[in-house]
Amino acid sequence: MQIFLILVIPVLLSISTLFIRRQRVFGVINCTGYLAVLACAVSLFKGVISNGSARAFLGFIYIDFLSAFFIFVISVVAFAVALYSIGYIRKDVAQGIISGKKAGVYYLLFNLFCFSMFMVPAVDNLGMLWVAIEMTTLISAFLVGFYNSKESVEAAWKYIIICSVGIIFALLGTILFSYAFSISGLSKSLNWSDIAPVAHILDKDVLKVAFVFILVGYGTKAGLAPMHTWLPDAHSQAVAPISALLSGVLLKTAVYAILRFGLIIIKSMGFAYFAHLMVLFGIISLIISSGFILVQKDLKRLLAYSSIEHIGIISIGFGLGAPLAIAGALLHVFNHAVTKSLMFFGAGNIVSVYRKHNMNAIRGVIKAMPFTGIMVLLGMFALTGFPPFSVFISEIMILIAAFANGSYAIAALLLFFLSVIFGAFVYHFGKMLFGNLPKGMAVSGEPLSGKMAFLFLFSLICVLGITLPFIKKDLLWIAQRLLQG
Amino acid sequence: MREIILFTVLASTYLMVIAKRMPALIRSFRYQSFCLSALTLIIALGRGQPDLYIVAGLLFVLKVWLIPYLLYRIIKRTKVNEDLGLFINSQLSLLWALGFTYLSWVFSAHLVISEKTILTSFLAIAFFIVLTGLFLMISRMSALAQIIGLLVMENGLFLLASTVSGGMPFFVEIAIFFDVFVSVLIMGLFVYRINKLFTHIDVNKLSRLKG
Repeated sequence: MQIFLILVIPVLLSISTLFIRRQRVFGVINCTGYLAVLACAVSLFKGVISNGSARAFLGFIYIDFLSAFFIFVISVVAFAVALYSIGYIRKDVAQGIISGKKAGVYYLLFNLFCFSMFMVPAVDNLGMLWVAIEMTTLISAFLVGFYNSKESVEAAWKYIIICSVGIIFALLGTILFSYAFSISGLSKSLNWSDIAPVAHILDKDVLKVAFVFILVGYGTKAGLAPMHTWLPDAHSQAVAPISALLSGVLLKTAVYAILRFGLIIIKSMGFAYFAHLMVLFGIISLIISSGFILVQKDLKRLLAYSSIEHIGIISIGFGLGAPLAIAGALLHVFNHAVTKSLMFFGAGNIVSVYRKHNMNAIRGVIKAMPFTGIMVLLGMFALTGFPPFSVFISEIMILIAAFANGSYAIAALLLFFLSVIFGAFVYHFGKMLFGNLPKGMAVSGEPLSGKMAFLFLFSLICVLGITLPFIKKDLLWIAQRLLQG
Repeated sequence: MREIILFTVLASTYLMVIAKRMPALIRSFRYQSFCLSALTLIIALGRGQPDLYIVAGLLFVLKVWLIPYLLYRIIKRTKVNEDLGLFINSQLSLLWALGFTYLSWVFSAHLVISEKTILTSFLAIAFFIVLTGLFLMISRMSALAQIIGLLVMENGLFLLASTVSGGMPFFVEIAIFFDVFVSVLIMGLFVYRINKLFTHIDVNKLSRLKG
């Protein structure tokens, strides 16, 4: 029932953009809709925890612990983005950057984008999973190229081409999975819930090859280095609220797809193969992103590279495989989504006041915009894993698991790159946030909806930084539930 | 019969590799798609599955007629240079393609467990088409060539899915067709936009975003 509402509300909202002409009114309706989606997602998640997995629509939809969790993450960020969009789009229209009609197009695309992202964790069929992820690319390409400038169209073209090629490899992997399933003599099916229970009798060599294609394919979409090249372009050129969605949850839907196939691999041949590949790509992502973060000049590109870093941490967490690391990685998915959205909102406000992306030219943000400035300062510490914020908790869980596992090299590399990135962030943001105002700049007020979005996200960061949603005996339960489906 | 069609698929892929201008590339893409839809029809006759007839029909309508028509229309409307802009000239490209053929043969010989040789050649040609599509995307400068490269890769996957794993479930197949069609439409729109903003569609010169 809840999943029905979660999928239908974005569709209804996107249809109603065609009829409601006044975008100011629509922004509020949109936001209310996503509040309802959030409520449904919370109750869905609770239901799955207590009742186990569920099916709907003739087995087309399959919800287990993993998918309910990802739906919950998407709904939290989608609600925050809907809230922030009200003020941001109104300001863009007022300044004449976009027309009122184009604001309607924005809301239409936003809703379709959210719908396609909710589809990804909801479907059972691995072929439909592929279709849903490709739909997210196609719809969000318009949102990346929304301002129609040379840079944004270039970014959108690279985004659509690189992600489409990547995802073709993922389809190749999916076909090989179904090939492995068909040569095992079972009836033809691409449903995850049919394949997973019989994973141990599938041909291991075919599965190994297939998973490499899956990891390269969906890894492109997830932003794992070295397939990440589209990501900084797209994140830096998209409309600011959409950057938050791209970085916060779009990448996570691809991670979800990798995990879905990874679970089949784990059931088939144990943990080692999956773990090695995930840790390898995670470490490469950390190395490449930390280098680019150190020398970065563009504010939004800096945040984009930080997303690559966090996706790397998440995949290392899943790759370590201890129950503590898996719980830490899941928590990190949520924490990164929330924190990065907050940072992209802040970056959006800064860029729209200063009208430039270059961090060397931005000074005195705290004086120009006291509220945004302080939020960005706190968010920066939260993002780089400073206590008492939530990212610290999930990162320390992954680190403890690495030490307890005896993977000292991984733990050392992780710590080293985290500290490098922390230093780079403090350096870049310190220069930007403090200092004197540029000449001729007035202290400007900020819209209420934007402030509420910041406070909503920031309260989540603080709450999860102080309290843990589970205790030690839940860890094993979470890992088991993931594996069982 | 299947072997002959498989051979024409291979030949049309080689034709694509040596094409220097857009119309030649689209024409050979058409040949390839036509052969694939004929192949699906034969498989459908052999197995007697009614949904495979629909898949063959859809393949014909979309990839032989509609998508090439759209691509020709884009060329006409934007009045762009029809040259593909080869990074690697046709002779060298042909050598690359020969290398790909050998590689995919070796790869698929490893992957297939059963002794059926026809399955190995199906698999080999499918991988070869995917590799060639990727090669076309990387080694040609025109944005339209990238769209075709993507479609060629998709054709390779179609061959792989329909022969090796006995086809995708029917509704997934339909959804993928829809998806391919929408992606061509959207990429076409972006080609218009690129042409309007930059007055060329040379992807090699899209280099404003760096670092």
